Amino acid sequence: MNKNPSKRVAITGIGVITAIGESVSEFRQGLFNGKCGIGPVSLFDTSGFPSQLAAQVKNKQLETCIDVRKFKRVSRCDLLGLIAAKEAFSDSGLDLDQCNRDNIGVVMGGGAGGMRSWEKYRRTLQSGKIRPRPSLLLPFASCTLADFIASHYKLTGFRNTISTACSSSSTSIGYGFDLIQAGVQDIIVAGGSEALSELTFAGFNALRVMDPFFCRPFDKNRKGISLGEGSAIFILEDYERAQDRGAKIYAEVLGYAINADAFHMTSPDPDAMGMSTVMAKALERAGLSTNQVDYINAHGTATKINDDAETRAINRVFGRKKARELAISSTKSMIGHCLGSAGAIEAAATVLALYSQILPPTIHLDEPDPDCNLDYVPNHSRAQEIHFALSNSFAFGGNNTSLVFGRANVDI
Amino acid sequence: MSNIVITGMGVVSPMGVGCETFWENCRKAENGIRKITSFDTSALRSNIAGLVEGFNPGQFMPSRIYRRMSRISRMAVAASIEALEDSGIGLDAIDKGRVGVIFGTAYGSSSHVEDFYQSLLNDGPRGAQPFLFPETVPNAPASHVAMFHGITGPNTTFCQNDISAEIAILYARNLLLQNVVDIVLVGGADELSAMQYACFDALGALNKVKVKKDEPVKLVPGGGLVLGEGAGVLIMEKRDFALEREAEIYGIFKSGVNTGGITSIGHYEINGEQTFRAMSQAIEQAEIDSDKFDRGIDLVDVSANFSAELDRMEYIQLKNIFPKHIKDLRVTPLKYLMGNFGGAGIIRAASILLALRHQHPLPVLKAEILKGEPYDDMEWEIPSLDKIETALMTTSTFGGGSTSLIFTGN
Repeated sequence: MNKNPSKRVAITGIGVITAIGESVSEFRQGLFNGKCGIGPVSLFDTSGFPSQLAAQVKNKQLETCIDVRKFKRVSRCDLLGLIAAKEAFSDSGLDLDQCNRDNIGVVMGGGAGGMRSWEKYRRTLQSGKIRPRPSLLLPFASCTLADFIASHYKLTGFRNTISTACSSSSTSIGYGFDLIQAGVQDIIVAGGSEALSELTFAGFNALRVMDPFFCRPFDKNRKGISLGEGSAIFILEDYERAQDRGAKIYAEVLGYAINADAFHMTSPDPDAMGMSTVMAKALERAGLSTNQVDYINAHGTATKINDDAETRAINRVFGRKKARELAISSTKSMIGHCLGSAGAIEAAATVLALYSQILPPTIHLDEPDPDCNLDYVPNHSRAQEIHFALSNSFAFGGNNTSLVFGRANVDI
Repeated sequence: MSNIVITGMGVVSPMGVGCETFWENCRKAENGIRKITSFDTSALRSNIAGLVEGFNPGQFMPSRIYRRMSRISRMAVAASIEALEDSGIGLDAIDKGRVGVIFGTAYGSSSHVEDFYQSLLNDGPRGAQPFLFPETVPNAPASHVAMFHGITGPNTTFCQNDISAEIAILYARNLLLQNVVDIVLVGGADELSAMQYACFDALGALNKVKVKKDEPVKLVPGGGLVLGEGAGVLIMEKRDFALEREAEIYGIFKSGVNTGGITSIGHYEINGEQTFRAMSQAIEQAEIDSDKFDRGIDLVDVSANFSAELDRMEYIQLKNIFPKHIKDLRVTPLKYLMGNFGGAGIIRAASILLALRHQHPLPVLKAEILKGEPYDDMEWEIPSLDKIETALMTTSTFGGGSTSLIFTGN
């Protein structure tokens, strides 16, 4: 039981759509089978870029997954999010008609949002052939997903969107946790969505941080990230309320922390002070000691500097002996780096690991980097008892978030 | 009683750069909306906005620091420098891990999004300019503030259109109440870019007014949005912490509520139910017991921005909140003077807090002007008030979100 006297927070519903699975069950299967979702991109022309691969959601008829007529001017990003939200609500078993919708909030994490729609507008405008549809501009704001979800399910509680690049959707889960723990809301729809866009694809290529093949976190020969897309949406609920209605509880959110490196816009602090502190603070908030943690879903981008720094931070926070006993994996090796939704999708991987008692692997880890000397669950998933787990997200601008989850019904 | 207070502020706005100039212009209802000169508007249906003029980042920081920053980040860092100076906090004397930086912005640096994408369109995949890309993330301003001051505590950015900065205030309070931080720099910022302006023009959302240079801008309420830009930073801390360090207190952040209205993308909440709920709950939570007005409120600061949907809806809900006094009700729609942007909430809050500290009312208009009907007498007035104790700041955004914040004097 959480030692904090305030309310506990349960996860009672999950929806996921990624390159390795377009539902929770497919994602779970892909995750534990070490499926690689990284491949050629069909959404736009990638010729000429040093790296041309990404983890794209394969379904070419996403519009058929929801009734798009209800969602005018929906972007690909919002479409992915709405598909995940639909699954999350259905999975939670919530009867919304029995809920006070003023007490259900929507807190999303956004990245590039409807950038792909804006790009279509810009390219059409640039061509000068026809006048582009102005409605393509509407989803430019990263908050449209929160508005779409709230509007569709008629949720009138808290409404906001966090936009801190790669840690956006992790922080959305954290803020959702705060709002329920403080008794401000009963239920929060949290998570995020990201669609591949030319802007981010060109941006990371321009920064020369993309691996020309697929990303290889913690591998000696790693050359950078692979981008990805997808969405994960959670139903966070007051634990007692969830128990009272007999809901399935995937896991408990125990705490989180956010902080800043205050070091560089694109590069993590090599001393990893921010990364270390955010993990330590998250554990403190959760009331856990380092010895109680079994698994870390690493940020693990597969850039030289991130993986080294994250390893250093884990060693510093947990001590060398405990760090070596921890299981750590980078699920980005399978789903790519999904930027604004990365934190939520990786939180889903962490929660499913706790629920299934299986550790997801880091794939493409063939030649371990001697500087990354921990157990990264290389290439194959592993059944193991997991009670408590962390999920790390470290973003552009030095925005760090660490989330702490516990197995449902486990005492601290 | 709320123990969250505001002890410093920095403002870069269309109504002046620096708190002193801003306050002077506030008191005179000086209009910051003027003809756009920073980019070409000849092909568009509008050419006016609330523009920050006379802002020189070099007055705040060395050029090597701001050289690669976007306009929004420069304005945000400048406002943070002024706010910290104003608060009297010596960051070197405190634990910077217990200082937060929480920002709100609608779009971040849309000019860098446009410039980076244009470099890709013009020069192809290998010609895209890497130095432009990092500033495209909306959290860039808050990250620059953290980097500039070496602040390593909680840092995040909210993007919820016009309530972005208000949400940042609510999250900052959250951090202070959890005792995760001692101080928060809570900011709001947005820049006006050619791309953003053209997008709003293409959507037909702007007030279709074109003026010549130096020609006075005459706007019709309900005629459509007028965009703006600027940055503001407030220093929020716990009252005990402020008193211990003998800080001057502008005012108390008494209560705040966030609700979500149901509407379509690009539109404001139609009937305003959730706007009403936010206002009434914030008033209830503030436990205002004075009866000199319907609800014991001296200043009503509204988010009206010349949009027919929003302004009218706000009027209807104000009528429900202040039923006895609606005919005499005066409100301050500061966006009528500085334009609409996601980070404007901090600047509006700054104006309220300055009014509370100086015990000088903000300029007001008759609330019924918000109805958007032809109105000849759109004259700003300075009301006579014996004492200013309580202010309500209500904000609603397209997409449906609303916030209401209550500030009181110290």
